[in-house]
Amino acid sequence: MLGYIRNRLFSLIIVLIGVTMLSFIFSNISSVDPAEALARRSMLSPTPKQIEEIRKEMGLNLPIYQQYLNWLWGALRGELGISLLTRNPVAADLAEKLPATFLIVGLASLWIIIITVPLSILSALKKGSFFDHTLRMITIFGISIPNFWLGFILLVAFAIMLPFFKVVDYGNFKSLILPSFTIAIPMAASSIRLLRATILANMNKDFVIYAKARGISNSRIIWQHILKNSLPPMITVFCQYLGYMIAGSAIVETVFSWPGIGSHLVNAIIGRDLPTINGCVLVIAVLFVFFNLLADLVNSMINPKMLNEKGEF
Amino acid sequence: MKNSLEIKDLNISLVGNKNPLVQNLSFDVRKGKILGIVGESGSGKTLTCKAIIKLLNEKVFKVSGSIKLDGNNILTMSEKQSRAVIGKDISMIMQNPMTAFNPMMKIGQHIVETIKAHTELTKKQAYALGSSALEEMNLQRVAEIMNSYPHTLSGGMLQRVMIAIALMLEPSIIIADEATTALDVKNQAIILEQFQRMRDIGIGLLVVTHDFGVIAQVADDVLVMKAGEIIEQGSVYQIFYNPKTEYTKELLQSRFLVDEEQLCLV
Ligand SMILES: Nc1ncnc2c1ncn2[C@@H]1O[C@H](COP(=O)(O)OP(=O)(O)OP(=O)(O)O)[C@@H](O)[C@H]1O
Ligand SMILES: [Mg+2]
Repeated sequence: MLGYIRNRLFSLIIVLIGVTMLSFIFSNISSVDPAEALARRSMLSPTPKQIEEIRKEMGLNLPIYQQYLNWLWGALRGELGISLLTRNPVAADLAEKLPATFLIVGLASLWIIIITVPLSILSALKKGSFFDHTLRMITIFGISIPNFWLGFILLVAFAIMLPFFKVVDYGNFKSLILPSFTIAIPMAASSIRLLRATILANMNKDFVIYAKARGISNSRIIWQHILKNSLPPMITVFCQYLGYMIAGSAIVETVFSWPGIGSHLVNAIIGRDLPTINGCVLVIAVLFVFFNLLADLVNSMINPKMLNEKGEF
Repeated sequence: MKNSLEIKDLNISLVGNKNPLVQNLSFDVRKGKILGIVGESGSGKTLTCKAIIKLLNEKVFKVSGSIKLDGNNILTMSEKQSRAVIGKDISMIMQNPMTAFNPMMKIGQHIVETIKAHTELTKKQAYALGSSALEEMNLQRVAEIMNSYPHTLSGGMLQRVMIAIALMLEPSIIIADEATTALDVKNQAIILEQFQRMRDIGIGLLVVTHDFGVIAQVADDVLVMKAGEIIEQGSVYQIFYNPKTEYTKELLQSRFLVDEEQLCLV
């Protein structure tokens, strides 16, 4: 088990290096010169000499691999540079934005669980019923609907036409509801499909027939036997969803003007704020990889086949 | 001898389809006797067993006739009534011990939930009852088995656990559908010995198999099924030494041809 974790951590580091390298290369391919962009923002009409000085100061005159190594060395010590837009340390900005993202992702996770578990059980138990068919249509719709569009629709419906919510709002529970729902709906839709299929597959397993033959009550068969065996794949997928939701927060946060890491990244991209872009990519990648690792760990922990006879790893 | 399980005119068909899968089945399983059912694959043996313990989905199968346990018709009972009987008065030994247990639950949890479903015993009492049932099956280190997940035990051990579960609530009838098929010869012999022990303590056994060797060793009476019907029934001696139908002769013969050596041992 420990060897397994070591292997996973090793591959995790490789993934992170790969992702940040790509982020570095892509931001350098762009035609806009960040030194010039910064110079124009701080001075009215910068001379080429002034731009060159800024370039030097930012280390942008070095070859790209040198820039990357410098950045990596800083990142290892927790220094992600200074944001060109806010003039704050990138790490400080991120620390300020992350809680907002965690808040909606956390609430979205709650919605996903609340929506998925009962609906999946019901539609599996009533397979082929009107309810099952209707839910299937809704989930297909929910999976295929683009996130930003869903966000706009919800905004128009519940903040403009029926003004339950404010279009731009932050800081109270009510402001969390629309953005978290927007993130949750596609995830809930696909997890309903998955959980329903898993439950149905488990319903015909030998151990369920044997439980019936032993006279176990239906509710116990559903919860103890069917659901208990259907949850492990769900938990894996759910942990992966956490990663996706954070990585995909950019679009939804922009639609709802939500001050999290996603909209922070979008602003940085628009403003050519290279240190912030790289910092955001790093944090999102770390979180994404972390939740994937967590998915594997949780799965092996709840699966008795991964345990030895003593019940330990 | 008192009839314990009486089956009369049992018919099973698919809903919306007239062709019967099982037709006009009538037989008794008597206490302290072993009734063997043999027949080729697809002859309806498993369907019959499942009908007896109400495992057939009502949306898929239409079941008619009567299945009486000590005079009470299981088919007309409410779900609650039949669930109190099934697993207690009639218990089942499944074909494949390796897949019959919930992989996420320990053996002890299986045992305790079964006892608690049928009695008012506390968890502790249920645990003690289950442990002693396992001990009766000559299983060693019972506490360890109770605390094990199914995948850590061998097929032979799991089959013995299943028999212990079947026996612990003192049923009057036990149904074993191909209960020895998945086992090696050694474990098979252990299980057959247990079948004889059950008979000796007055339980009625319904042993389904395609293996005449098993029938020869343990059955008192035999039913031969073909295409959903009983085509021959009688004592084990009649069936073996004086089979009336060609079908039975053929079944016996194929058995002799394939497993001559094993039958000699029998
Ligand atoms: N769910 C089902 N839907 C339709 N037909 C079924 C279903 N289950 C069983 N049957 C049919 O019922 C008949 C009897 O099946 P059954 O499983 O009882 O046979 P069996 O005697 O147990 O055979 P085997 O020796 O292979 O176990 C078969 O013809 C089978 O095709
Ligand atoms: Mg069968």
